[in-house]
Amino acid sequence: MLLVRDSMSREVIAITPETTAAQALALCRERRIRHLPVIDGERLVGIVSDRDLRSATPALGDPQRTSELERIRASEVMTRDPVTTIPDEPIESAANMMRERWIGCLPVVEDGDLVGVITSSDVMEALVFLVGAHEPGSRFEVVVPDRPGTLAGAAGIFGELGINIVSVAMGARREEMPDGSPGRAVVFRVDTVNPGEAAEVLEQAGYRVLWPPAAPV
Amino acid sequence: MSGRSVFVHGPSLEDYGFGEGHPFNPIRLRLTVDLCEASGLLEGYEPAEPNPATEADLLTVHSLTYIRLVQQASRGEGNVSDMRDYGIGTPDNPVTPHVHDACARVVGAVLGAYRLVMAGEAAHAMCISGGLHHALRSQASGFCFYNDAGVAIARMKEEHPGIRIAYVDTDAHHGDGVQWMFYEDPDVLTVSMHESGRYLFPGTGGIEEWGRNGGVGYSVNAPLEPYTVDGSWISCFDALVPEALRAFGPDIIISQNGCDGHALDPLTHLSATTRLYEHVPRVIHDLAHELCGGRWVATGGGGYDIWRVVPRAWTALWATLSHQELPEKVSRAWLAEWGRQSPVELPYLMRDDPADYPAVDRASTIAERNRRTTEAVLERVMPLISPG
Repeated sequence: MLLVRDSMSREVIAITPETTAAQALALCRERRIRHLPVIDGERLVGIVSDRDLRSATPALGDPQRTSELERIRASEVMTRDPVTTIPDEPIESAANMMRERWIGCLPVVEDGDLVGVITSSDVMEALVFLVGAHEPGSRFEVVVPDRPGTLAGAAGIFGELGINIVSVAMGARREEMPDGSPGRAVVFRVDTVNPGEAAEVLEQAGYRVLWPPAAPV
Repeated sequence: MSGRSVFVHGPSLEDYGFGEGHPFNPIRLRLTVDLCEASGLLEGYEPAEPNPATEADLLTVHSLTYIRLVQQASRGEGNVSDMRDYGIGTPDNPVTPHVHDACARVVGAVLGAYRLVMAGEAAHAMCISGGLHHALRSQASGFCFYNDAGVAIARMKEEHPGIRIAYVDTDAHHGDGVQWMFYEDPDVLTVSMHESGRYLFPGTGGIEEWGRNGGVGYSVNAPLEPYTVDGSWISCFDALVPEALRAFGPDIIISQNGCDGHALDPLTHLSATTRLYEHVPRVIHDLAHELCGGRWVATGGGGYDIWRVVPRAWTALWATLSHQELPEKVSRAWLAEWGRQSPVELPYLMRDDPADYPAVDRASTIAERNRRTTEAVLERVMPLISPG
């Protein structure tokens, strides 16, 4: 779970070094994509973005535009030796690579062959699946003491109440417990439309429930 | 602005629910029917009690495996862990004796309501036991075993080929079950306004859930911020619902009138009052006359402040649907009968006094965010809707 292979697109729309700028731009438009890996056989040799293509060609309205679009080849505008990833890379490190280098798409390479691409939208989707709503559920945000066993304690409360946990996310963010001692925030999605009782039991057990709020009286 | 109205109800419809200690307590139906009656709003309106839905009816939107499991559970048979995979026997959807039959009657009531309307025997029909909008094809969810609106819409499509149905859901929770059942269908427009799934069950209902394949544009969602008050809710509703329905051109409107967005509701975080629950039916009523010869079926739905909110909200719904004046005061006979049983003090006015609902913190930020959501729906989803 949460590897590049789980989120990448396998059906890659790739071009060759000889593809013209006109053909490449048309592909971007038709398939609604912004990046085209450039391959020579199965080998990845570069990547072209729609922005690379636009900045290399004359502006709209320029009489030279059509002929230039037909003349320019992918090999002239592509980024050679692009940053790549592998199918078994954890998605967070691929995401971090994209974030640090300001790039929106990584070709996925296995033994030098292009096997997929992963884009920032794919990473977003993985995030949505991680904490998001693909099965009905209610969201809880709970602060647990920063000690061994406390996440299990909070999760156990849902278990005792017969409420199934759909997803859990616990981050590095620090929160304070009501008595000022250190804690960590956990987001649970649980399978109930009626979170009130669980929230009450969690509070009674000493956890701090940030969401849901107490019901009106 | 006329046409006969029918109140679809019978005592056996009050068997669906999970009793004392569970939020979905069917006494809320009894309290509502009694309040309508005590307010003089049922004079001349003999309640109609239709037949239960058949297995064939349920099969239009539910799987046979699931129906069989509900039937088994209903008889006290079956394997508990198998059932849990289908949402049956969880704290939300506990198994009660005869839950299959009780829920099939609710579905039958909504089917009956729409058939009266389509046959021209009534312009409008109300069935407050209906509104079980979370039930999924093969899963009980959010207190709902079978999806009454889903079955009614599926049957309508069979019995009236080419019909265009608008489903308008103003329950505080997203109308997920109905949405998914018709997600690819351009003849069924589902519109749901609800507390954002970021904060509330079932978690879905973002604006980008706008339908799939041929149905793109025919699922409209407006997620509202927690603590949304009447004013902001009403302006979003007025900006979206009439425009969506006019663009679509329905032959009939089905509304899900859950009233759990009220400030007193224990399960949600919205801050509406009875003002919203008078406004919504009024607008839907007028749209039904403007667009589809008055054909309108209203169902109940959520509503968990069962003493103070549900009876008044749905009495107001009935008053609008039956073209009667809502009394100013809560019937004294009703207060006398139920006041002693109620764990909370009952209101004596039919409409909430705004003075009892103090201003919400950050109200202008909340309204601004709702306004942006509405604009995004108008810009991105509305242009995708076209009249058949």
